[in-house]
Amino acid sequence: MDLNETAQESAFRSEARTWLEANVPTSALPSFDTAEGFALHRKWEQKLYDGGWSAVSWPVEYGGRDADYIMWLIFEEEYYRSGAPGRVNQNGIFLLGPTIMEVGTQEQKAKFLPSMASSEIVWAQAWSEPNAGSDMASIRSKATRDGDEWVLNGQKIWASRAVWADWCFGIFRTDPTAERHRGLTFILCPLDLPGITVRPIAQLDGDTGFAEIFFDDVRVPVANTLGEENKGWAVAMATAGFERGVSLRSPARFTEAVKRLIHLWKTYGDPTDTALFDAVADAWMQAEGYRLHTYQTVTGMLEGRTIGAEASLNKIFWSEMDVRIHEIALQILGPEAERMEGPSQRWVDGFLFSLSGPIYAGTNEIQRNIIADRVLQLPKGM
Amino acid sequence: MKFSFTHDQRLFAEGLRDLLSKQCTPTHVREVWENQTGHLPDLWSRLTEMGVLSMLVPESQGGMGGTLIDAVLLFQELGRAAVPGPVLEHMAVAAPALAHSQWAPALNDGTTIATLWVDTGPYVAHAQVANLVLRNEAVITGFSSTDVHGIDGGRQLFTISGGSESAASAQVFGLPASDVMALASAAYLIGVSESMIEVAAEYARQREQFGKPIGSFQAVKHLMSDALLKVEFAKAPTYRAAWSASTGSPTALRDISMAKALASEAAYRASRSTMQVHGGIGYTWEADLQLWMKKSWALMRAYGDATYHRRRVGASVLHG
Ligand SMILES: Cc1cc2nc3c(=O)[nH]c(=O)nc-3n(C[C@H](O)[C@H](O)[C@H](O)COP(=O)(O)OP(=O)(O)OC[C@H]3O[C@@H](n4cnc5c(N)ncnc54)[C@H](O)[C@@H]3O)c2cc1C
Repeated sequence: MDLNETAQESAFRSEARTWLEANVPTSALPSFDTAEGFALHRKWEQKLYDGGWSAVSWPVEYGGRDADYIMWLIFEEEYYRSGAPGRVNQNGIFLLGPTIMEVGTQEQKAKFLPSMASSEIVWAQAWSEPNAGSDMASIRSKATRDGDEWVLNGQKIWASRAVWADWCFGIFRTDPTAERHRGLTFILCPLDLPGITVRPIAQLDGDTGFAEIFFDDVRVPVANTLGEENKGWAVAMATAGFERGVSLRSPARFTEAVKRLIHLWKTYGDPTDTALFDAVADAWMQAEGYRLHTYQTVTGMLEGRTIGAEASLNKIFWSEMDVRIHEIALQILGPEAERMEGPSQRWVDGFLFSLSGPIYAGTNEIQRNIIADRVLQLPKGM
Repeated sequence: MKFSFTHDQRLFAEGLRDLLSKQCTPTHVREVWENQTGHLPDLWSRLTEMGVLSMLVPESQGGMGGTLIDAVLLFQELGRAAVPGPVLEHMAVAAPALAHSQWAPALNDGTTIATLWVDTGPYVAHAQVANLVLRNEAVITGFSSTDVHGIDGGRQLFTISGGSESAASAQVFGLPASDVMALASAAYLIGVSESMIEVAAEYARQREQFGKPIGSFQAVKHLMSDALLKVEFAKAPTYRAAWSASTGSPTALRDISMAKALASEAAYRASRSTMQVHGGIGYTWEADLQLWMKKSWALMRAYGDATYHRRRVGASVLHG
């Protein structure tokens, strides 16, 4: 064990820091859940790409730097430290991209990865349906084969950023006779095709951060199938573990949030309030613990281990920590936290968003079931 | 000892529930959120007619002559419906505190609308609909107000400036305005929590995943039960606080603080659990749940949050 950075890692860190310091916008961009903010975030992604920083862990040929997971975490630390904008193409670069690299054809890699890295194409994830949320295997949207084309019909919901995204990656039922998890196929689809209707859905804060997508006889080439026909479930699960476990919420997000929390406490906190003092210290320990756990996990991956069901532990941990960090911040802010603007704005926005963490990417109840069944090997319940 | 409400008290609360179920549905509350008036004028008139707004005003001054024990179930009913506007401020503090002033008749018949500016916070809620703001020792009229964007569309927040002041007292039953409001909002938060739990329980009975109602999953059952537990155990302390406040008990302030601390935490827990039970739909603007959630996030901080009130309880029981 050696918890010091190598010379190469330190050099990478300082290169990232230098670039970010020179390039990060000096004032915060408007939310990417608005038309204007989305366009500005896309521009920012283009700039990141031009600098070679949009997808550091990807192979060089697709616009990355071949960085290993440790270096990726280092980049993330620098990214959050610099206060850079949120990643509007998160679903593409961190979820679909790695999936394409794992199961895509050469043509698919060449076609989709570079435009993803540059965010010329921003991706939305179209998995959930009104009646298939936690029970995703009960998906009913279907794809019917017609010559060289799939004909898509059905309805997806809660697709983040789909209001302004360019393409979506969906899961469709292709064999209605097969048992639930079988008979599903992973299909990539532009969002501007005839037959597609995108209905924005306003979130708790009023912004239209996600959308419903209706498919009415939408035709896409069969070449847009990712992985094998009727093996869509396995394709979807191939990277979901990495997403839940590591890539969706890297530790830097929380270590930086806790730095801001400590600053908030120093500015507004009541030093005689020892419970609050303890709560802030605990938030620091949680974020630090998550960081250590993640470095340990990715080291394991570099040594050839895979992440299985224990990724669910991470998902619960970061989502509950995020809520806690914001709860403490609002407590420090006191009556100010009743406002959506002013010194509390970022914390109140963050609080609202943190509440969705225990729901998206598989609810925490489902994660606890997974841990109980697959990690602890408890008898299966309902 | 007899720890229960009278038949008349219950009947009055049921009457209010009945009125609110017609005139303060989630659709009405949303209307107020969207048109930003912060207020339902028709409902206001009905609350005046029913005697809700003048419940704490002595009969000799044209009111109903009720005590905080009479009022506490009404606060709770108002919370169940997430009633928008300065109903609590007007009814619990302004009308009774100003019962012997020139303002009394217009406050009793609701033609003058009052709100409060208390020391526990820098902002004035509902200033856009109020003709009168009651501060500690003064009535302010003719002020101008600036929206500072509160999280709850039914309780918009403002800073106010200008206007003219005249001397007044903001005491009710010998208690400061902020404490009476802490009690009123504790009861209101209990009503808010009850509604969130009912809405989520109904959702958990209807919504199916894996071929079963989600309410059949233990994880969901436990989320709901834990929420209920906190709310149920905030009720008796809140009713006791109303009794202490009405009877001039020396522990009135401690008891109010206990109620507000417990009710604030219960409401927060209920908001979290019920949102979680709703899944994705709980994070939308469309779901009515947000009307109560945001009310709970506002009122849990207004008139002293749980930390503030727990410390007062601590000071009383540990140092007293
Ligand atoms: C902010 C946000 C962004 C999202 N982005 C996307 C996206 O980009 N793409 C996409 O496809 N989806 C997205 N989702 C959808 C998300 O994945 C689903 O909301 C989630 O999987 C839950 O499904 P549901 O909403 O249908 O809730 P339900 O499945 O109906 O769950 C309701 C409640 O029942 C519980 N429950 C259900 N089954 C069980 C069980 N077996 N045991 C115990 N408890 C159970 C749940 O935990 C939850 O508390 C997003 C959601 C949110 C909130």
